[in-house]
Amino acid sequence: MKGGAAPAISAAEVRRLRIVIVLVVLAAWELVARSGLLYRDVVPALPTIARALYALLAGGEFYWHLGVTAGEVAAGMTIGGIGGLAVGLLLGANRFLSEAFERFLYYLGPTPKIIFFPIMIMWFGVGVSSKIAMGALSCFFPVALSTAAGMRQIDRVLIRVGHSFRANAWQMATKVYLPAMRHPVINGVRLGLGVAIIGTLLAETKLSNRGVGFLVIQAYSLFDMPRMYAMLIVLFVVAIGVNALVGRLGGLDAIKRP
Amino acid sequence: MAIAPEPAGRPDTAPAAQAPLLVVEDIVKRFATPDGELIAVDHVSFDVKPGEFVGVIGPSGCGKSTLFNIIGGLLDDYEGTVRVAGERVRGPHPAIGMIFQEESTFPWRSVIDNVAFPLEIAGMGRRERHERARHFVKLVGLDGFERRYPAQLSGGMRQRVSMARTLASEPKILLMDEPFASLDEQTRLLLGDKVLQIQQQLAQTTLLITHNITEAVQLADRILVMTYRPGRIKRVVDIALPRPRSSQIVSSEAFGRHVAQIWSDLREEASLGLQDEDSAYGRERRA
Ligand SMILES: Nc1ncnc2c1ncn2[C@@H]1O[C@H](COP(=O)(O)OP(=O)(O)OP(=O)(O)O)[C@@H](O)[C@H]1O
Ligand SMILES: [Mg+2]
Repeated sequence: MKGGAAPAISAAEVRRLRIVIVLVVLAAWELVARSGLLYRDVVPALPTIARALYALLAGGEFYWHLGVTAGEVAAGMTIGGIGGLAVGLLLGANRFLSEAFERFLYYLGPTPKIIFFPIMIMWFGVGVSSKIAMGALSCFFPVALSTAAGMRQIDRVLIRVGHSFRANAWQMATKVYLPAMRHPVINGVRLGLGVAIIGTLLAETKLSNRGVGFLVIQAYSLFDMPRMYAMLIVLFVVAIGVNALVGRLGGLDAIKRP
Repeated sequence: MAIAPEPAGRPDTAPAAQAPLLVVEDIVKRFATPDGELIAVDHVSFDVKPGEFVGVIGPSGCGKSTLFNIIGGLLDDYEGTVRVAGERVRGPHPAIGMIFQEESTFPWRSVIDNVAFPLEIAGMGRRERHERARHFVKLVGLDGFERRYPAQLSGGMRQRVSMARTLASEPKILLMDEPFASLDEQTRLLLGDKVLQIQQQLAQTTLLITHNITEAVQLADRILVMTYRPGRIKRVVDIALPRPRSSQIVSSEAFGRHVAQIWSDLREEASLGLQDEDSAYGRERRA
């Protein structure tokens, strides 16, 4: 993207290889399903899954649950993202604070947040709020850490340029700091979005009566494997779509404004 | 800040008779380092008159950038005073425009938006500031590149963008810290031509910091030669070459004499600097 010679591999070749890989996986799946080696519906045949997928998407119930989950993730992202951005800016700007606190973030960051779920239930109840709290908690860490790191990586001379033209604090923040650290911040948001989705879904599978996570675990306990796989496929597609969208935000930026 | 009033005077009356625009008085700057105190700038005093082009030359590490940042109001905690048109400098002064040693264009802004940056900071509307910026883009010879981003330009072009950006703020005093340091010799000479042309066109008062003797002699009316650590002014050299000048002056005989004189001044300072680095290297190896 940033100049440099194009690699010798053609895009068409890569695409062909990808399609081959997908086809091989699907064929292997179908083979295992028909072999009867595994107990009943653990690996359902592809047409069965397709039928379940159709039934899922044709009914209205699934969309309502999907909406609940999406709402929870969005709320969690907003809260955790803004919190992470604020804390990251603070840590990036203040050496003392970062020396004192950043270590905690580093160690807490990769810890699976699901261990906090019982606490969240105590604080926020079994409803939607505890799921939002899980999403917020999950995405807070990557956003805060990459914002802090991004702020420290800013080219110092750009800050001096801003000061030399007598930019005030607000102008420095909006016209120098934030644009200069947009790549690490967008990356943090992307990572944060991933873990917020995981956190929310996981919380839904534990204790709830709505949301896609709840539907998945319900299908599982009824041993409706085709339906479960159908939902996983939808989740997979949605996650890819959302990720591509956030990536586009950062990616477009990189192409148009290198 | 955008519309600077007329300079206090024009160089058509004899510069010597005019009140200086920039007065640097007895500047001392100390840094605390692990090896103890380091005096980067030691009792430096000089002044610059309206329309004058003053060069500061000295070996690497003699405190040129430190002096540059002090005059630009970006460093505090020093002794002495800096005055611009009689007014004491505390923090960045609107009459001073700085061009930095390092690559300093904003990579996320197009050429035109980079150049318009100071106008945007001053609160000028989009249409007006673009119009103004376009004028300065043209002045540095980058017309046609307005919509490009810095990553799509050569190093010399990016340096010209920085120059146009600072000129767009219409500073009364232009401070440049080795603006061409990272460029090859030919580009450097041609950009020097550009600077001369702009300086003559705008009657721009300029302080140019450099460690390149050719560049200093080509451009300046007066050159301050600095010593290596602590950075003091060792000698002031008047360059009596006729104006208008161009890069062709490099081959004249008078030019050669000036260069030789300054080089003999600088040689011992530069070798001091090298010895210093050698012994620091030795210390590191022993440690
Ligand atoms: N913030 C700082 N803390 C400690 N020492 C510093 C600091 N800034 C500069 N120095 C020291 O002060 C001396 C002068 O540095 P300065 O950058 O002003 O040199 P310079 O003349 O611009 O060199 P160059 O030509 O290589 O750019 C150097 O020895 C440098 O190590
Ligand atoms: Mg320097």
